[in-house]
Amino acid sequence: MAEEVKVKKNKKKSVTTNKNRGRLLVVFALFSLLFCALAVRVGWHMVIVGEERAQKAAKQQTRDSVVAATRGDILDANGNKLAISSTAYAVWVRPESARSNGKTEEEQEKNLLYETDRLAELLSMEPDAVKEVLMSEKKLIRLAKNVDIELAEEIRGERFAGVELVETASRSYPLKAFASQLLGSITDDNVGNTGLERYYNQYLAGQNGRWIISKDNKQNSLSYGTNKYYSPEDGYTMVLTLDQNIQYIVEQKIAEGKETYKAARVMCLIMDPKTAEIKAMAQTDEFDPNDPRAPMAGDEEIFDAMTTEEKVAYWNKMWRCFCVSDTYEPGSTFKLLTTSIALDNGVTNMNEGFVCKGATKVADWTLHCWNWPKSHGNETLAQAVQNSCNMVMIQLAQRVGIKRYFAGLESFGITEKTGVDFPGEGSNIIQAESSCGPVELATMSYGQGIAVTPISIVTAVCSLANEGKLMQPHFLKELRDSSGNVVMEFEPQVKSISVSAQTASNMLDIMESVVTEGGAGTAKIAGYRIGGKTGTASKPIPGGYSKTDIIGSFIGVAPIDDPQFVCLVIVDTPRIGKYGSTTAAPIARDIIQGVLSYMDIQPDYSNADLNTLNSGKTTVPDVTGQSMEDAIGMVAGRELNWRIAPEIETTENMVVVDQFPKAGEYVTKNSIVTLYYEFDNTNEEVKGPDTVLD
Amino acid sequence: MSEKALKLKKQDGDMWIVVLTAALSIFGLIMVFSSSLYYSLSKFGNTWHYLAEDAKWMALGWFMFIVAANFDYRVIRPFAKLILVVGIVLLCLIYTPLGKTINNATRWIDFKVITIMPGEIIKTCLIIYLARFYADDPDRIHMRLWQGKGANRNKPYGPQTALPLIWIFALMGGCFLLIYKQPNFSTAGIVALLIAGIMFAAGLSWFFVAAVGAAGVAGLTLIMNSPSYEYMRDRITGFTDPFLDPLGEGYQVVQGLLAMGSGGVIGTGLGQSIQKTLYLPEPMNDFILAIIGEELGFVGIICLMVVYIALIWRIFRVSLRCRDYFGMLLCAGVGIHLSLQVILNIAVVTASFPPTGVVLPLVSLGGNATILMLAELGMVVNISKRSAAVNAAAKQKAEETAQ
Repeated sequence: MAEEVKVKKNKKKSVTTNKNRGRLLVVFALFSLLFCALAVRVGWHMVIVGEERAQKAAKQQTRDSVVAATRGDILDANGNKLAISSTAYAVWVRPESARSNGKTEEEQEKNLLYETDRLAELLSMEPDAVKEVLMSEKKLIRLAKNVDIELAEEIRGERFAGVELVETASRSYPLKAFASQLLGSITDDNVGNTGLERYYNQYLAGQNGRWIISKDNKQNSLSYGTNKYYSPEDGYTMVLTLDQNIQYIVEQKIAEGKETYKAARVMCLIMDPKTAEIKAMAQTDEFDPNDPRAPMAGDEEIFDAMTTEEKVAYWNKMWRCFCVSDTYEPGSTFKLLTTSIALDNGVTNMNEGFVCKGATKVADWTLHCWNWPKSHGNETLAQAVQNSCNMVMIQLAQRVGIKRYFAGLESFGITEKTGVDFPGEGSNIIQAESSCGPVELATMSYGQGIAVTPISIVTAVCSLANEGKLMQPHFLKELRDSSGNVVMEFEPQVKSISVSAQTASNMLDIMESVVTEGGAGTAKIAGYRIGGKTGTASKPIPGGYSKTDIIGSFIGVAPIDDPQFVCLVIVDTPRIGKYGSTTAAPIARDIIQGVLSYMDIQPDYSNADLNTLNSGKTTVPDVTGQSMEDAIGMVAGRELNWRIAPEIETTENMVVVDQFPKAGEYVTKNSIVTLYYEFDNTNEEVKGPDTVLD
Repeated sequence: MSEKALKLKKQDGDMWIVVLTAALSIFGLIMVFSSSLYYSLSKFGNTWHYLAEDAKWMALGWFMFIVAANFDYRVIRPFAKLILVVGIVLLCLIYTPLGKTINNATRWIDFKVITIMPGEIIKTCLIIYLARFYADDPDRIHMRLWQGKGANRNKPYGPQTALPLIWIFALMGGCFLLIYKQPNFSTAGIVALLIAGIMFAAGLSWFFVAAVGAAGVAGLTLIMNSPSYEYMRDRITGFTDPFLDPLGEGYQVVQGLLAMGSGGVIGTGLGQSIQKTLYLPEPMNDFILAIIGEELGFVGIICLMVVYIALIWRIFRVSLRCRDYFGMLLCAGVGIHLSLQVILNIAVVTASFPPTGVVLPLVSLGGNATILMLAELGMVVNISKRSAAVNAAAKQKAEETAQ
């Protein structure tokens, strides 16, 4: 009724109808349905697959970074720091962020220029090098590493755009090129690469921690969200048996020796015979483990021209530890072992007299003593060692026989690796027992045709200075955790009994006599009782032995009445001095003297010593008929200087035919004894068929 | 008998609409602040840049809301044609040098003092125009090709011709093209659907509804089965799994879905979103729902949807109770507009619809759309006031008559 009226009265006033309301309800119902469907869809995304999506999100939102464990320090036996870890920073750059710092292009360019110059200044880099990094297309690139904390703070303070500082552990060796072949070095990834760093890596490295933290899409950490920190377990501190002071003496003396004798290189190993702790081990020249890939001084140009492969070879050579990894021909020093085995097997005794005829026939070979056609004639066992008489050694080895001789070598640990705690120990090169014939046995008895590692021969000789107990050589004294508790201690360990205590004692007497009366007089130190033996071996070259190059060595025990250490010095290819007695022994003497003085072992001068010391005079020894090598040793043993007439390079086959002043004369110390010589050209020493080393 | 004859007493408007709109506005401010805080900090060095911008739009919008709620909505009726003309002119101005291009799309007109978005303005203009067009003569929705009973020959065009329908369809097509060319597919689509919705409410014949529906189904079937439309098919089905191309077109959707997944049932807590830290681009805009999901969880989104549907229902309720055809269609238009925006936004964020830029009304960072939406809602409140008064008076009159 009312509606009809409205329509009639006002044409423009249309009135809504039920049809419209129906339509509105349909529209609303449709929208409601769509809302329900979307609610289900939302639920599906958030609840049903939500967990999976959340994980995906977490993956992009979190930074899972390694918290580097601090690598354990390496200390010497007295607690001096040889290798330490410190916190350093690496500077990383996001070039894009660095380039887009500013609202206008001009501003960006200005900021970038400032950042480049300032970074270059702070990091002491070339601006061009910094620029290259900042212009890089990479997302993230490292600009510098090993930045110390003060500098890092300064860089942080500058608030550079796109520059991040990442904490890293840095390894430093405060003494730089010191015991470096021994300590080794680490890689950029903080993993031990060579030496003890490599061998004990698992203990030194520790267990890295993790830090999972939420970050924004530009890698900035967020103050909320995930923040889980798993602290790292720091590596153990490693205490070595090494004594920094002894090592220092050794390094200084071998460097001097290398210079004096113009040698290719000089090596030295010092071991405590009672525990087989390695007190010092060094070789010339040492690299700086702080920068292990830098070439040695003087090699830069050659190095730069090398291919990658050549560089790797160069590094490996530089890093290689001779005393453990390499072998050398021990020569006469090996006679100590032959004599010990003979004594221990009871095939000879200290009082037995021998006759050296200068040559002997073994199988179909004639072997000569080194001074053939002369001979040593009558000699005691001790004298045979003093004279370094090959004939006696052959006799002794023959009496012992192959089986017992090899058993003896085995108990000296010569037939296998010592198992020292160092990577890459070399194997001794010895004739196998099964293929060893009489000639091989004979040459081996005087140290020819075999090659041994310095560590193995020192370990063997140490047993003589330790009542026949052969100890396990080692570098590690103990491991301590980060709070300083000892978690592992190396107990001295008897590996085998090499000889009886009596034999060992006899051998020390013989060794002492070699220094006091024999050819190792160049190692004599007034006031101390030293024992030792020199050795000279021709350097093996492909197809035989070099005529000019030798390896001279000296192995000594000091002091002989209470052995504190055994010292082996090896001089490789000296250009001045052709024998162990003229090269290795004097170096060893200086080392031993330094170490004895460092150990605070007071000299105990004998009457003869005192006479010499007080009077400043000494008696000239009788060296006529001796080899030049031994003669020089004996003259030096009386604190006399020597001269060869006519002057010439010493060679192996020189025999002293006369001397001035004559034997028994009482002369001033350090006066010159002139030695007249003859060449033994007939004495072409017969090499066994087995002596070819490569 | 005019309404004045009914002796109107002043009545309150629909307070539910006011309360729900206010709730959404405040929630929007909070979420814009929360979601944009980190983005703003990295871009402008302060946390409140987008909060301030949103607050500015909200203030303008609420001013419009209050004005619209207190002025009789019928005053705009005589200006409906003018309003439409202004809207279309503005749309065309985009293609003049005044048009402002951002990201290869020219959707704005830069008047120096204010930047406007004709695509948003035209929606309100069309609602007003269509309400007037069909209120003037509800029969204009009909098309009869033959002279039926009760045909009114006095009308300039009437049910006997198809002209009114053709005009509105032409208007729909014209607006669609003008906006589509900007390009702005989503706004064009919403405008088309808005016109269709109002026509449906006005009583569009089921024949047309069925015809349009059938055409749509046929077209889709054709595309799905024809090898030559393979590219088209991929575009249509591709959006359902944005993870297939997580760094390309699907990037924003993927980041949104990751945010929602991280939120789970109860969310990580207000302010705790990590996806907003530069993973999800412009987190306060079209994808704000994803951040809401991350921070407030499934529960939060459902609550928000309940608030929306409640508001939509109140708008439809006003429409249903309105005796004035103009007011009824205005309300319906506003209700359809709001519903389409919300539904399309949620559909895009949930990868149920190809990614297009649709803001979440009142919650996403404000702009022209916020002012217009609040003005439209203010208008609905005004309509509710008036129709409450009319209904009360009519009821009283009826009671008096009965006595």
